[in-house]
Amino acid sequence: MRRVVPTVAAGLVLGSVLSLAQQLPAAYDWQIPAAFPKPRIPPDNPITGPKAELGRYLFYDTRLSGNGTQSCATCHDQARAFTDARPVAVGSTGQPHPRGSMSLVNVAFSAALTWANPLMTRLEDQALVPMFGDHPVELGLKQPADDLLARLRSAQEYPRLFGAAFGPSPDPFSLTNVVNAIASFERTILSFRSPYDRYHYDRDDDAISAAAKRGEQLFFSSPLSCFRCHSGFTFSSAVDFDGRRESGGPEFHNTGLYNLPGPLSYPAPNTGLYEVTKRPGDVGKFKAPTLRNIAVTAPYMHDGSIATLEGVLDHYSAGGRTIADGLLKGVGHDNPNRSPTVSGFTLTADQRADVIAFLQALTDNAVLHDPRFTNPWTHY
Amino acid sequence: MKTPLVLLLIASAALIQPRITTGQAAPAAGPGALTVGGDVKEPLTVTAADFKAMPRTTVTVNEEGREVKYEGVLVAEILKRAGVPLGRDMSAGAVASYVLAGAKDGYQVVFSVAELDPGFTSNDIIIADTIDGKPLFDYQGPLRIVAPHDKRGARSIRMLQTLTVVRLRK
Repeated sequence: MRRVVPTVAAGLVLGSVLSLAQQLPAAYDWQIPAAFPKPRIPPDNPITGPKAELGRYLFYDTRLSGNGTQSCATCHDQARAFTDARPVAVGSTGQPHPRGSMSLVNVAFSAALTWANPLMTRLEDQALVPMFGDHPVELGLKQPADDLLARLRSAQEYPRLFGAAFGPSPDPFSLTNVVNAIASFERTILSFRSPYDRYHYDRDDDAISAAAKRGEQLFFSSPLSCFRCHSGFTFSSAVDFDGRRESGGPEFHNTGLYNLPGPLSYPAPNTGLYEVTKRPGDVGKFKAPTLRNIAVTAPYMHDGSIATLEGVLDHYSAGGRTIADGLLKGVGHDNPNRSPTVSGFTLTADQRADVIAFLQALTDNAVLHDPRFTNPWTHY
Repeated sequence: MKTPLVLLLIASAALIQPRITTGQAAPAAGPGALTVGGDVKEPLTVTAADFKAMPRTTVTVNEEGREVKYEGVLVAEILKRAGVPLGRDMSAGAVASYVLAGAKDGYQVVFSVAELDPGFTSNDIIIADTIDGKPLFDYQGPLRIVAPHDKRGARSIRMLQTLTVVRLRK
């Protein structure tokens, strides 16, 4: 008996642990290479496979617009790294957005979301803006979300998907669950499979061209200093990730894109960080977007006002854009808030081509075609 | 390391322009070589082969959540070979000395000699020529300084070509 009792007790404990393990959702398989960190996940919205999968259905569902014409994917097209090729986004009622659609690739690592809002840090919160915002109207939904939830409830696929993601009870059809699922899906859109990644992290020296390697040297050199704002593994502003000890607080930069006379040197309503802080020194400051997949996300800048990567190089090599005529006339280089990093540089034609080749090496064709991120409704 | 580089680099271009009042700036040598000059007894040109034959030190740094191993030679080892007094040989006047590190792209950073000296600190600041056992990338090397205990990476200067020792009090 003296031997049996501990054995039985151990068996009971083991059984309890196994039972508990069966009740917990399996840890999400990020499929992230060892060289990269995992995203930081909000404690109140743990990620699971079924939740991300539900989010994919919702992301591509036009039921999420008031008039049934648009989904999240309308402005976030996978083939364009989840941007839309427009200078500025256009909502479901035809109303233009002041700014362009940002890429969602690696958005899970963004310390701040959108172009110039340091207060918008949770994807769950951000999803509500395009859904219910009316300034401008994007998806055009109305609060309360009863109509939306009724539409979702009536769709054949959703009882199974919501049930798998959140359990059958209490009623899983809620706005919180909708945005939690969409945010979870967005966090799964990760890009680590570009030629640059194979070169830099897998040490495959043949993965990128000699021109791209020369371009990398220029990108990381003092005269160009691109890396000062487009930094780290996302080539973006500050990042956050699971386990990060120091806060990677958001950063915003004025690149001298405009210099209008008067106190607001950038054309309204796109005055940048100033919109939130109301500090004059923040006029024209925007987030440095990720450069991963930048070759497929034209046009560029917060307002899509530069059509090509070559044009962007012109802007930065001049240390700010000069607009000679018209309402936006001004010398961006003289903008009082222009970042000292954007001071200008000179490149030969070959060097320009090298920098472009480097940027093109950041295109991850796998993420642009990954079936985990494609429209699930096409086979219905 | 990359992210920390950002903030201080922004300041550095404007602020780190030390006026060298003594000594001759070390001229850049050929690719892969490091020249050591200024207020030193023995100006040096250290080749890649020389580096491999010196005592090697490995430091580990955290680059955005990833542990990365850099291997190379303590900067102090190079200074010692150039005849810079270190440790107990460093007189009161010699403490007022610094090293100006220069890169191929014109970037410059400064370390005091004392903070490079294992006799003074345990900073383990090295000149690295490998990352995770492989040669540095072109945009980093062939040589770079790695200051593993700096909170930011701005002084871990890439594409290192010159070390110029400046002794303020002779």
